[in-house]
Amino acid sequence: MDHTREILTFQFGTYANYVGAHFWNQQEANFVYDQENGGNVAEEQLPHNDILYREGRNDQKQTTYTPRMLSVDLAGTLGHLPVVGELYGNFLQLADEQNADEIQKVKELAEQNKLSTHGELDVRKQPAATLSEYQQDLLKGAVNTHDKDYNLAGTCNSWADYLYARYHPRSFNLLHGLVRQPDVQVLGTHAAGVELWQSVSFNEDFCDRIRMYAEECDGLQGFQLLFDIDDGFSGLASKCLEHLNDEYSRASFVLPLHYPRNIAYAQADPRTAHGIRVANSVLSYYHLSEQANMFTPLSTLETIWRNNTLQSRRLPGLHWQPDNLYQSSAVLAAYLDTVTLGYRLRQTPETLLRFCDRVCPSGRKMTAAALALPLGMQQEQDLIDYLDQGASGSLFTQLTPGCEPGNSHIVQSVVARGIPHARLKRPLELAGPQLRMSAYKCDSVSQMLQLYYQCAYHGSLTHAAATPLPLKTQLPFPYEIFETRVAADGFMLPGEAQREPKSRVASAPALAAIQNSSKLGEHLDALHGQTHRVQVAKLQGYSQSGFERDEYETALDKLLEFRDNYEDSQYL
Amino acid sequence: MASISLLNPKAEFARAAQALAINISAAKGLQDVMRTNLGPKGTVKMLVSGAGDIKITKDGNVLLHDMQIQHPTASMIARASTAQDDSTGDGTTTTVMLIGELLKQADIYLSEGLHPRIMAEGFEKARDKALEVLDQVKVPVEINKKNLMEIANTSLKTKVHPLLADLLTDVCVDAVLTIAGDKKQPVDLHMVELMEMQHKTDTDTQLVRGLVMDHGARHPDMPKRLEKAYILTANVSLEYEKAEVNSGFFYKTATEREAFVRAEREFIDQRVKKVIELKRSVCDGTDKTFVLINQKGIDPISLDALAKEGILALRRAKRRNMERLALACGGTAMNSFDDLQEEHLGYAGSVYEHVLGENKYTFVEDCKNPLSVTILIKGPNKHTITQIKDAIRDGLRAINNTIGDKALVPGAGAFEVRAHNELTKYKETVKGKARLAVQAFADALLVIPKTLAINSGYDAQDTIVKLTVEDRLSPELVGLDLATGEPMKPADLGVYDNYIVKKQILNSCSIIASNLLLVDEVMRAGMTSLKG
Repeated sequence: MDHTREILTFQFGTYANYVGAHFWNQQEANFVYDQENGGNVAEEQLPHNDILYREGRNDQKQTTYTPRMLSVDLAGTLGHLPVVGELYGNFLQLADEQNADEIQKVKELAEQNKLSTHGELDVRKQPAATLSEYQQDLLKGAVNTHDKDYNLAGTCNSWADYLYARYHPRSFNLLHGLVRQPDVQVLGTHAAGVELWQSVSFNEDFCDRIRMYAEECDGLQGFQLLFDIDDGFSGLASKCLEHLNDEYSRASFVLPLHYPRNIAYAQADPRTAHGIRVANSVLSYYHLSEQANMFTPLSTLETIWRNNTLQSRRLPGLHWQPDNLYQSSAVLAAYLDTVTLGYRLRQTPETLLRFCDRVCPSGRKMTAAALALPLGMQQEQDLIDYLDQGASGSLFTQLTPGCEPGNSHIVQSVVARGIPHARLKRPLELAGPQLRMSAYKCDSVSQMLQLYYQCAYHGSLTHAAATPLPLKTQLPFPYEIFETRVAADGFMLPGEAQREPKSRVASAPALAAIQNSSKLGEHLDALHGQTHRVQVAKLQGYSQSGFERDEYETALDKLLEFRDNYEDSQYL
Repeated sequence: MASISLLNPKAEFARAAQALAINISAAKGLQDVMRTNLGPKGTVKMLVSGAGDIKITKDGNVLLHDMQIQHPTASMIARASTAQDDSTGDGTTTTVMLIGELLKQADIYLSEGLHPRIMAEGFEKARDKALEVLDQVKVPVEINKKNLMEIANTSLKTKVHPLLADLLTDVCVDAVLTIAGDKKQPVDLHMVELMEMQHKTDTDTQLVRGLVMDHGARHPDMPKRLEKAYILTANVSLEYEKAEVNSGFFYKTATEREAFVRAEREFIDQRVKKVIELKRSVCDGTDKTFVLINQKGIDPISLDALAKEGILALRRAKRRNMERLALACGGTAMNSFDDLQEEHLGYAGSVYEHVLGENKYTFVEDCKNPLSVTILIKGPNKHTITQIKDAIRDGLRAINNTIGDKALVPGAGAFEVRAHNELTKYKETVKGKARLAVQAFADALLVIPKTLAINSGYDAQDTIVKLTVEDRLSPELVGLDLATGEPMKPADLGVYDNYIVKKQILNSCSIIASNLLLVDEVMRAGMTSLKG
């Protein structure tokens, strides 16, 4: 069977779409249009784009290449983007000057088609949405990634402002009537999301769109779901996952995302807000532990639920504003892109299902994320030396809040990117002290990493994969988050040297892992520890949407059962 | 100071007269927005969003959704209007108009000191009387094509141009009649599939007595057109799922795993073989052909095997299409391939594929006795199609309502004028101040003919006077002829409304209006924060 093994991606919620936008931007940055000048990366080490993308044709007979993706978001997040996408017509290009004519033309055509009962159509035009400077330049084809400072971190209002990728008309699903508000989450509770999923107007259309994508696929292998766990989109995602299992029974890799700041809910003081947040998490974890093949909570925060100071994670070499959605989502997207590369490379026998199963032994479906970006390797340093010197500490920073898997008895899957083969070790005649290291016999990056973790992590199981393809960090990636000691190619500058102030980091090597160990049980304990402060009956958001108390109790019980999977005695 | 402010100093509130003023102004505001939509001469709106999305609509419901209403009272009225749409499919604009007018009329008396409670009671009485009138004036109808055409045409003419409305009327009535057969029962409108095709130059709507599906064969060698086809509908997976093979550590050796994989593949092949066997047994030696429509997936290997046999196979059909197929072509949807028999198969005279850009369509036509049909809408762009689709949906509902009611109400404002006159008479028999409320209700009803007149460019007062006088003189109902501005008999022109729609409007409007009148305090709790 030599056909594409497609994956369908879902993005539920605003922050999920932030991460998604960065993720798809990253995919397009890695497209190779010209194999001759495709750089130094061998073809089989590039990602196989057909897994995530579909080829289509619009009615101007142009070929389109768009993500297999379904996104749900609140009204008002799309900004300048028409809901039908920009590739298939059916909207007016308002940024052009002559759009008055265009409207007139559309109006006349509609009248010819006898849509008006009599006489003329009454045109009501809303003021055109403002385009971010980046999008304006994109439209003109004059994006300057080298010198111009678009200040996306400061000016960006929505993920649409920095979206480079273009989506299929099927992709966007706007929740009409739920308008995004800057300070309050409109779709607040898990129960509200469930209710929304069950409403006929949403459900029929959305399920039909999933079916259309699935119908196109010859060998659908599974789904990636990104969703905001802090608000009602968690309920939507839980229900959607249930539907996917009923209809398609494929592998699912789910990534619940926590906002990097505390969001407020309608009519809720901080205490109630905390209650809603915990209840949303409990219910989501319950659904995910039943339905998903694997789920990995992601956030740039150090801990959640009880993190009043909003302490953020720090990756050495990076510096971002902790509560900035644009920058923090880029870090998460970088992780997502890197860790999923394992099953997206060309000619890899790896599948999504195997990827999930490998790190989830005996029902431990919750896993933890870890990332090293940029990889601390110095320019001119070889991987073998870097691993030798850095062996004392863990290379990673955790991206799952409140999870420290430790460094022994771990099951993990590691993907390294951007380390050229030449930088593995020195050739035999120049090797010198490297010859004495046992890792010198390794011939590939993945082999060496495998060996490294065998030695560094006691009693652990590691699966390593690697590609020389680095992470592209040009615009619209927030290149400004790299510290000045990182060189333009993403490696560390030796000593105290600093990057030239004008130059930007264009690409960077990275190392990402998905890990599982019995220590993750503590994350579930932390969640459970919060629950006795919460009285669901008193949460207005929940009582309004006809939510059953019993369901919450069941979820709590099941959560405890799920936690038992992480007991030491449960594993082998 | 309201008591809530003792508990929560941040709360905002408005009392009595002020609260009423808020509600009334909101209702009036909404009424103003919707006014121009009413009736066949109301204007159609083209909405262009900030991002360039286009929407063409006259449907009050769509407009209300698009306005993203924040005002609490307005959103309450909007919800009533949505409920109206959900239950009957028509009368959304009328609902908004009437609620607004009821409050407006009530306001006149309330400002003179009438208590809202009495007003509400009077409204209730008036409503009961109006419903009585409605029952008197309803015209029992025989369910035949002519009568259904009239009601569908009245409904559609308020949505699209008369020429297009005529075309759609034909399509809608034929669709419902085909499904209903001789039974004269309301039909399940889910059995009318609305399929859209975006086509650059073509604008057309047609009825397909069969099914059109929005997907096609996924194998290059499969036939594009088949005649005299047996149709097998199924919900059986024909794809090899690696799922069960990989999970767990069940294998001692690689060969053991290989064997397992082969066995799994074999399992799927068996299913495919069963379909092929059936095909051979029913088709070999005849000119019959075979189509498989599956709700689950079919993988390339299975497709290949089926294609070699000349079978057209479709995967991932809509769940609802399984039901529709069984009704359109006969046969039963199979959940397993054990014990496949010829009687499980459906039949269609022709099955063919149509490709349009990246979309494929499969037509299943010439069915023996189709109990499910498809309305195919072609248009040059999305908003045209959507507008036609909305109109068709309302037309179908109107027809179905009529079949359910077996009665119609003369349209063109005739009922409202008659009810107004009857209520004015009835007022005399009502004791006390409640009679003022009855009068208010009676006056409010006139907003419908008034707005119809205004939208058609006639003088409102003039028309109302003419109509009420004419109505008093004539035993038959009198409505407004929008072409001339003169009174006419709706029956002569075939202008009818649905009984259930009118009934629903009277009920919901009086209730909402009463509720809004009785509100004497509007408050909005601020954040209750103990920590500050």
